[in-house]
Amino acid sequence: MTALVENAWIVVAVPFAIALLVGVAGPLARRLVPWVTLVAPLCVLAVGVSGLVTEAEHAGAVRWLFGGEYALSFGWAVDGLTSVMLTVVGFVATMVVLFSIGYMHGETGLPRYFGSLALFTGSMALLVVADGLVGLFVGWELVGACSYLLIGFWYQKPSAAAAAVKAFLTTRVGDVGLLLGLALLWRETGELGYGGVFEAVETLAPAVVTTVAVLLFIGAMGKSAQFPLHIWLPDAMEGPTPVSALIHAATMVAAGVFLVARLWPVYEAAPSAQTVILVVGAFTAFASATIACAQRDIKKVLAYSTISQLGFMFAALGVGAWVAAMFHLVTHAAFKALLFLGSGSVIHATGTQDLREMGGLAKPMPITAWTWIVGSLALAGVAPFAGFFSKDEVIHAVVTHNVVAGVALFAASALTAFYITRATRLAFFGKYRGDGHPHEGGWVMSLPLVALAIPAAAAGFAGHKIAEHLGEHGEALNLPVAAASLSVALLGIVVGWTSYRDGAESEAAMESRMGGLWTTLRGAYGFDGFVGAVIVRPVVAISDWLYGFVDRKIVDTTVEGAGKSLPVIGRMLSVLQNGDAQWYAALIGAGAVILVALSLVVKGG
Amino acid sequence: MNVAILASVLFAVGLYGVLTRRDLIAVLASVEVMLGGASVMLVGLATTIESAAAPEAGVVEAVGLFIIILAAAEAAVALGIVMAVARRRRTTRVDDLTEVSG
Amino acid sequence: MTELLTQVVWWLLAATAVIGALAVVFTKDVMRMAIGLAAFLVAVAGLFLFYALPFLAVVQVFVYVGGVLVLFLFAIMLVHRAEEGRPGLESRHDIGSIALAVGIVVLVVMALRPLREATVVDPTSSGTAALAEMLLGPMLPHFEAAGVLLLLALVAVIVVVGGDDE
Repeated sequence: MTALVENAWIVVAVPFAIALLVGVAGPLARRLVPWVTLVAPLCVLAVGVSGLVTEAEHAGAVRWLFGGEYALSFGWAVDGLTSVMLTVVGFVATMVVLFSIGYMHGETGLPRYFGSLALFTGSMALLVVADGLVGLFVGWELVGACSYLLIGFWYQKPSAAAAAVKAFLTTRVGDVGLLLGLALLWRETGELGYGGVFEAVETLAPAVVTTVAVLLFIGAMGKSAQFPLHIWLPDAMEGPTPVSALIHAATMVAAGVFLVARLWPVYEAAPSAQTVILVVGAFTAFASATIACAQRDIKKVLAYSTISQLGFMFAALGVGAWVAAMFHLVTHAAFKALLFLGSGSVIHATGTQDLREMGGLAKPMPITAWTWIVGSLALAGVAPFAGFFSKDEVIHAVVTHNVVAGVALFAASALTAFYITRATRLAFFGKYRGDGHPHEGGWVMSLPLVALAIPAAAAGFAGHKIAEHLGEHGEALNLPVAAASLSVALLGIVVGWTSYRDGAESEAAMESRMGGLWTTLRGAYGFDGFVGAVIVRPVVAISDWLYGFVDRKIVDTTVEGAGKSLPVIGRMLSVLQNGDAQWYAALIGAGAVILVALSLVVKGG
Repeated sequence: MNVAILASVLFAVGLYGVLTRRDLIAVLASVEVMLGGASVMLVGLATTIESAAAPEAGVVEAVGLFIIILAAAEAAVALGIVMAVARRRRTTRVDDLTEVSG
Repeated sequence: MTELLTQVVWWLLAATAVIGALAVVFTKDVMRMAIGLAAFLVAVAGLFLFYALPFLAVVQVFVYVGGVLVLFLFAIMLVHRAEEGRPGLESRHDIGSIALAVGIVVLVVMALRPLREATVVDPTSSGTAALAEMLLGPMLPHFEAAGVLLLLALVAVIVVVGGDDE
C-alpha cells in the first residue's frame, strides 16, 4: 500500500496512458474499451485509499524544464487532503465509467468518450497531487479541456457545441484571474511550489497577499460556477448525464474549493479575501437555490443545485472553516453524483428530461427510486444522511461569524429541500404522464447507484475521520444549529410534497399562482441575456469589424498587393531585355564607368 | 601623358562606333579600333614611364604580340559568324538581329 | 632639332590614327570605312615603331593589315554580294553613347593624373632577342596557349561558317 502512495505519479500516468490507448486503439476493440477505461479511476481510487489507510505523506519530483540555474520540476505530493480528494475522484469516476457502459450503449464515438473520461481522470488527479501551482494549473487547464470535449460529445448538435464553447470561454475568464494571481505571486516571491509559497506568504505585504488570494479565487469562481461565472454550468447539461455526474457535480467543479483549501495559508493571511469569498458563496447559494425551484428539466434542477451547494462550500471557506467545506465537498460528491446518475437512469428509461412528462416511476424503477430518495434526503440535509452532518458544520461555522450569510444559507437550505422534493414527487410519484416504457437499466447502471447511495447515507459519520486526515479536529454536532437546519429542511420537504400532489397540473397551478416570479426564476433572472447583450454582442461586433476591415482590407490587400506587384515590376524591368546587343554593351560600359569613377572618388583620386 | 590621352581617345571613338553603328561588320571594325587603342595605351606607357614595377626586357613586346594574336583570332571567328548569320537571315543590319530564333 | 622632329612624327602618327578611327566610326561608305581602318592600323604600327618595338610593328602590319583587314574586305564583299552599288552604312547617334565615350576619356585622364609627376624616359629597344628569350622562357605557357587559341579559332570558324549547305 505504501508503494502505491510512494509512486503517486501513477494516478496521472496510468489514466493518460489509458486515454491514449483507448483513443487510438479503441476502434479496434470496441467491446473492451469501457472495461479498459475502468482501470484508470480504479488506479486513482487505489492510491487515494492507500493514502488514507497508511496516513502517509510523500513527495517526489521530476525535472522537466531546465535552463541554467532555473529548473521547473513537476512534482507530486501526497498528504491527507490529497488522499481524500483522490478517493473521492477515484470512487465517483469508477461509478461513472461503469454507469456509462449501460447509459451510452449503442452510441457512436465511444472510444472518444471513454478516452476523454480517462483523460479527465488523469487531469483531475494531476490537479490534486501536484506539489505546486504550476502542476495544479496544468491539471486545471486540462480538466477544462476535457470538460469541453465531453460537453460537446454530441458535437453535431448545435446546442451542445455551443454549450461546450460557452463552458470553456467562461472558465477561461476565471482562468485569467488565476494566471494573474500566479504571475503576481511569482513576481513577489519567486515561488510557485506550495512549500515555498506558504513560507513566502508570511513575509509579503497584506495588500499583495489579498490581491493574490482574490485573483486565485476568481479562477475558482470560474471553475466552480459561482456568480457571475456560473452561466456555463446549466448549459453544460447538454453533455451525457454520466459526464454531468462526474465533472459537473462531483469533481471538476469542486476543484475551486480544493484550490482554496490547498492554499489555505494564503487565505488565512488575507481576511478581506475571505470576506469576498463569503459574500460570493452565500449569495450564489441562495440565488441559485431559488432558480432551481422553477426548473422543468431534471438535469437543470440538479445543475443549479450544484451551484448552490458549491456556494455553501465557499461560504464555509469564507469564514475560515475549510475543514467543514471539504467535508461538505466529500458528501456532496457522493449524493450529487448519485442524483445525477439517478436522473440518467430516468432519462434513459423514459427518453425525456422534462419533469412534466415523468411521474410514477417508483413502481417500475424501484432501485433508481430508492437510491434517488436517499440522495435527495442527503441533499436536503435530513439526518442521519450525509448531507445533514456536513451542512450542519457549514451553517454552524457561517452563522457564528456572519448572521446575514447564515440566514441566507438557512433560506437556501429550505429552498433546497423544497426543490428536490418537488423534483422527486414529479418524477417518481403520481401517474406516469409520458409515452415510454420505463424500466431499470441493468446491473451496470444499478450497481453504481447503490454503491453511491452508501456513502450518501453514511458518510456523515466519517466527518471526524475526514477532519483528522486534513490535520484538524472534528467538530461535534452543534445541537441548536442542527435542530434549526433540520426543521428548515423538513419545512421545505413538506411544502414541496404537498404542493405537487397532482403532478404536472400542480406545476401549472404553481406557475399561474407565482406568475412572473416563476418565469423569472426559470429564466435564471435573465442573467444570460444580460451577459449576451453587454459582453458578447460588443465583442462579436468588434470581431466582425476586425475581420471585415483589418483582415480583409488591410492585411489581405497588403499580401495580395505584394504578390500582384511582382509581375508589374517584372514587366517594368523587362524593358531592359530588348535583344539589342549594343544596348547591352552600352549598359556594360556605363556600369564600368560608374564603378571606376566611384572607386576613384573613394580612393581620393 | 599624351599617349594616355591619345589611346583613350582612340578607345572612346571605337566604343562609340560599337554602340552606334547599324551594320554588323562596321561594329566589328569598331571593335578593332578599340583593341588598337588599348595596345597603344599599353605600349606607350610601358616604354616611357619609369617606375619601380618596370617590366623585364621583352615583356612589353610579348604582351603586345598576344594582343594582336587574340585580336586576330577574335576577328576571324566573329567574321565567320557574320557570314553565317548573313547567309541565314539575308541581312547584316543590327536592328534586324535582335531575336535569337529557336 | 631631333626633338622637334620626334614630336612632329608622333603627332602625325597620332592624327592619322584618330582620323582613321573617325572614318571607321562615322563614314557612310563601306570602302571608306575599310580604308580608314587600314590607315588606323598602319598608324598604330608606326606608333609601335616609335616606341622602339620594331618587331611588334612588323607583326602588326603583317597580321592586322595583311590578315585582319583582308578578312574584313572578303567579308564585306561576300556579304554584300547581292546588292547593287556600294552599300551604305548607317549610324544611330545618341547622346548616351557620346556621354559614355566622353566619360571614358575623362575617367582615364583623371585616373592617370599621377603620371604628371612620373619620370619620362626615351624608349629604348631591347631587341628581338630579348623577346625571343621571353617567349620561349618565362612566357612559354602563354605562348603555347596562344597557339592553342589559334587552333580553336580555326576550328570554330570552320564549324560556324560550315560548308555543307548551299
